[in-house]
Amino acid sequence: MSELNNKSAAPYSDHPLERELAPLWQQAQAGDEKAYAKALQLIARRLRSFFKRRMNNTPEDIEDMVQETLMAVHTRRHTYDSNFPVSAWIIAIAKYKLIDFWRRHERRDRLHDEFDDSDVNQAINEAALGSNASNIADVQTLLTQLPAKQRKAIELIKLLGLSVTEAAQQTGQSESALKVQVHRGIKQLANMVQKTSS
Amino acid sequence: MKTDRLIEFLAQGASTEPAPALSGRLLMTASLGLLISLAIVMVLIGPLPAEMLTTASPWIKLAYTFLLVVAAVWLTTGLAKPLARLATPVTLLWLILLGMLGLGAWTLIQTPANDRFTALFGQTWLLCPWIVLLVSLPTLIALQKTVREFAPTHLRQAGFACGLLAGALGAAAYALACPEDSPAFVAVWYTAGILMTALTGALSSRWLLRWA
Repeated sequence: MSELNNKSAAPYSDHPLERELAPLWQQAQAGDEKAYAKALQLIARRLRSFFKRRMNNTPEDIEDMVQETLMAVHTRRHTYDSNFPVSAWIIAIAKYKLIDFWRRHERRDRLHDEFDDSDVNQAINEAALGSNASNIADVQTLLTQLPAKQRKAIELIKLLGLSVTEAAQQTGQSESALKVQVHRGIKQLANMVQKTSS
Repeated sequence: MKTDRLIEFLAQGASTEPAPALSGRLLMTASLGLLISLAIVMVLIGPLPAEMLTTASPWIKLAYTFLLVVAAVWLTTGLAKPLARLATPVTLLWLILLGMLGLGAWTLIQTPANDRFTALFGQTWLLCPWIVLLVSLPTLIALQKTVREFAPTHLRQAGFACGLLAGALGAAAYALACPEDSPAFVAVWYTAGILMTALTGALSSRWLLRWA
């Protein structure tokens, strides 16, 4: 049995985190508060990267999950079995917490979408220009060089995809004025692009 | 940053609190559960006639369920913790199950063809699994409450293990009231009752085993 344990523990104990964490954890179990604080810091960092990679859709909950798991690790630390690497034990708890989180949120999330302005803007930009980040950045810098009225008209009609009527309602300008702004703006953008490329 | 404050706070409790011994707690709960199952069986059905204790059949039932209890305690102890090695108890469970099925099949072959139906179904095959499930339920709930205090991370499997243990204990209690005497009956219907309890444990785990 002990042979078995050593074999599977070996690849973990070579891991840099485990090499740092294991001795701290041992000291902590003996009652060393400083070592325990250090161990928890390491664990928190590990948990943060674990959750970050798996909670893309709910980044605002990551830190809560780190704290919740830290508390679980603390209150259930008597379930640690020294036949296993500390980091593997931590990750087993983190996985449980993550599944529990998903279960708790699956019902709520079906009912509402997180509304975040930057997400909307990004989605609009991506829809208009593709997800190529440098495209988006280029157009944004060019747009800032336009007069405000032309820029607003192009953003609303060409990038956001509003109809001319809707845009007119939003800006309070007449439809024909908006069309002219778009036309002039596009022309000037084209000029700017030609200038920078030549 | 809030997480750092939390860590400072937690670190003040570094010294290990005396760890509640998992196997001790489990054995306590299991014994209590066995007594409750036994009480239900005796009130509901009453003990089997004393002369049956001189035959092999109650002892076969008790041996089968006792071995299952041992393997199930082992398995439950493992699944109550975040990490454990389960290969040995799982293998043990399979060996016990296959052994009992083998014994049942072997005795069935020895039985004259005309009596085989009775040997397999007895008088109470429809009742037996349900009684086992019924008398095991209090144990199942108590076991899940106990396991929940530790840190099971695979809830469904842990619930299944609790159910196996509760079912094996319940079947042991029922063995002292069950009038059937064929090993084939035990192999099929006792096993069915225990598996039904295990499935109940797995299905209820989402509510009874969840911990925060």
